[in-house]
Amino acid sequence: MNVEIFVTDKAGLQKFYEAIIARNETWAPVEKFGKFDFKRVSSLGECDPDSPIATTRSAKPLFFPRSAKIMKYTADSTGTRVKETDEDPFTAKRVILGMKHCDARSLQVLDKVYNWDYIDNDYQKRRQNTVVISTRCDKAETHCFCTSLDYDVENLDAMDVLIVNGTEGKVHITARTEKGDAFLKENLDPASCILHPVSDEELKKQYQAFAASFRLKMNYKEINEKLSKIFDSPEFEDVSANCISCNTCAFVCPTCHCFKISDERVKDTGVRYKSYDSCNNGYFTLMAGGHNPRPVKYRRWRQRALHKFVYYKERFGENLCVGCGKCAVSCPVNISIFEVVNQVASNEVV
Amino acid sequence: MEQLLVPMICKIDKVIQETPDIRTYRLKFKEEGLTEKFKWMPGQFVEFSLLGSGECTFCIASSVTRKGYFDCSVKRAGIVTADIHSGLEEGDEVGIRGPYGNWFPLEDIKGKNLLFVGGGIGLAPLRSLIQYCIDNRNDYKDFTILYGARTSADMCYKEEIKEWQDNKTLKVILTIDKPEETWTTNVGVVPKILEEVVKPVIENTKVITCGPPIMIKYTIQSLLKLGFADKDIITTLEMRMQCGLGKCGRCNIGSTYVCKDGPVFTNEQLKRLPDEF
Repeated sequence: MNVEIFVTDKAGLQKFYEAIIARNETWAPVEKFGKFDFKRVSSLGECDPDSPIATTRSAKPLFFPRSAKIMKYTADSTGTRVKETDEDPFTAKRVILGMKHCDARSLQVLDKVYNWDYIDNDYQKRRQNTVVISTRCDKAETHCFCTSLDYDVENLDAMDVLIVNGTEGKVHITARTEKGDAFLKENLDPASCILHPVSDEELKKQYQAFAASFRLKMNYKEINEKLSKIFDSPEFEDVSANCISCNTCAFVCPTCHCFKISDERVKDTGVRYKSYDSCNNGYFTLMAGGHNPRPVKYRRWRQRALHKFVYYKERFGENLCVGCGKCAVSCPVNISIFEVVNQVASNEVV
Repeated sequence: MEQLLVPMICKIDKVIQETPDIRTYRLKFKEEGLTEKFKWMPGQFVEFSLLGSGECTFCIASSVTRKGYFDCSVKRAGIVTADIHSGLEEGDEVGIRGPYGNWFPLEDIKGKNLLFVGGGIGLAPLRSLIQYCIDNRNDYKDFTILYGARTSADMCYKEEIKEWQDNKTLKVILTIDKPEETWTTNVGVVPKILEEVVKPVIENTKVITCGPPIMIKYTIQSLLKLGFADKDIITTLEMRMQCGLGKCGRCNIGSTYVCKDGPVFTNEQLKRLPDEF
């Protein structure tokens, strides 16, 4: 496939960003204490779409909010009334600027679970209304391993628009989807760019330079295969020993999607929430009466590792991991999913 | 998603104190005409909410063939169920979502001998199917119900069991764990009575069992010892659930969503799951 690539320079890119922010509801990485997080922005000065490090949390909360109101209700002597909550805050058309490839890719993974059987319409709507603009990272961070998980030139439709830093200060802007194409027509000033057809070969070269910067590499097909046979591996106890069950990994993970439903009621009125939860929680599978299929930590870590690299793949055909390394970056006790699955897989049960 | 999680309001038509810690709530939808439209299959479950306390997963304990209501039997076991027991009486309102999950394989059991093996509150999901099969009695051959509880006072559906005993086309065998003065029939745990008293015909028989996990485990062992095939043993799993829609991830056993692929499984299917339930 030959794709149209707009070539501009740093100044042209800044103009492009400014035009986007001026015309659209824009979310972009905003720095605070050396870390980045997606925030609603109204000027380029507030944010850094080409943030030098990835955001601490993924953009997941913009599609699957940390805590969403399911309903409000009143219940008193006159009866019970349920009121669906106000408008979804995320249905407006919007742009997410500076979403790293791993983060964008995670949406394709999440689509699978939200679009089977019961369709999650809110998620769908948020997806449809969002234009995702990614800047390719120049090099890998310490915990990155996205190139080991299906990140290649064949798979660039995860984002609508891709921005790549080329040689000699040149910047390549490409639409990767129809939505992205329409968006560029509306927001990119052609006068500031040269239109080029760029071949797959050229894209591949750019990609290879980036791929060479990775410290972590693995063959996920081998991991899938090995992990599917090691349910009883004693290694799970070893890899999970340090875990303090704080659930940070699940909250920053772009693909973790488990949630809980909880009630908050004051006198006659109350609110029911849907909020993040994690299989690392001791109470996650605890049943009334005390039975718990995963009463100990290693079993919960086994669930986490196997859900990511075996179960989700069996069910939906994708790894539930995009190799972003966010869990390892934020883990207070330095547990890395990369190390966990590799350690368990390399110690086969005999 | 959020809209799918909003419950419909039901009114409690009747409360039956089955045992000291089990109550059956008979429910009707508040909205006119909804009760008639609400259809479920035996084995399916609902998400039952006591607003303010939270949601619980209960199987529907009655059959769709008994029109105009549906039952949920609630054992006081945890936080929400304790609130349900202490707070919900006739005329009160609760939230209901559902029905969810798969159901007992009605086509597979047609024309077969049926053997129901229940323990304690585990009779609740079986009751939905038992009522359904009684109401379509001609579709089935021999019909046996083995039910056990810790004590005679812990037996659910006492009135209904009497009706079953009076029904000449059913064979009902009851057992309790320890002898009691006024108890004149079997004493002993369910698997023992199954082997020693029921002595079921294996050929052309489907067994449907539910009870506490430990009872299910030993009942299945006994059934296999008696010569039943894995595919002829059907059970329904208890698993912590929350959304019921195959999204929240709580009921996962391996790649199986108990809320979508289950809760009804044959032993053949259970053997393929990781040992984590």
